[in-house]
Amino acid sequence: MKQKDSKTKQKRKLWIVINYLSIILILSIFYTGKYYDWPVFVIVCEAAFFILLIFSFIKVFIKTQLWKMSHTSDKNLDERQLQVMLNSLKYSYSAFTIIVLVIVYGFAIVEQGPIDIVIAACLLYIAHTLPAAIIGWKEKIIQD
Amino acid sequence: MKSRKLYNRIAVLRKERNISRKELAEIIGVNFQTVGYLEREEYNPSLDLAFKISEYFELPIELIFSTKPLKPLIEEIIELKNKIGEQ
Repeated sequence: MKQKDSKTKQKRKLWIVINYLSIILILSIFYTGKYYDWPVFVIVCEAAFFILLIFSFIKVFIKTQLWKMSHTSDKNLDERQLQVMLNSLKYSYSAFTIIVLVIVYGFAIVEQGPIDIVIAACLLYIAHTLPAAIIGWKEKIIQD
Repeated sequence: MKSRKLYNRIAVLRKERNISRKELAEIIGVNFQTVGYLEREEYNPSLDLAFKISEYFELPIELIFSTKPLKPLIEEIIELKNKIGEQ
């Protein structure tokens, strides 16, 4: 039973890594496309990574009900779930602040301007998924 | 502050009452996974939840929860009986 739980946790962690890696790849491909004026190969790659992002999102956040747990009202959670949620929000707040600062300042230095809509969308996605991802990363069992 | 580990007899009592984790969870008003966490002693319940559990099993709270590893319930009852007998 314990071995099965740790296997499931490892799998879940792998999918979380794939999910966030696909965001980085989407952004990299987007700026490559912008620079080389969108050749077909780049468009295909962008679409493939977008599909990977959606697939891994379903696998990590929807099938495990992590999305539901992190987006439900406090009234629907019991005391343990609330504790888990508050803990994950604490970590995600710190992590998200660092991510935003690095991106905003990095963008200002490299591009000499404000962040564009694609990065803003990715940051919005990270803001919404990070608490759930932290729960998925740390918790032993999500579904019994 | 790191809290002490709480040992409990929830798993034994639940099996003795022949109810599932889901049923117990509904009765005490928590998610069924929380019952699993409680049974594996990976989560310390609040005082309110501990009282709900003791009320459901109709047993004193100290017979269900302890800060020390628990002996089998029958041993504890015999010890209690002996103590009462001595008095």
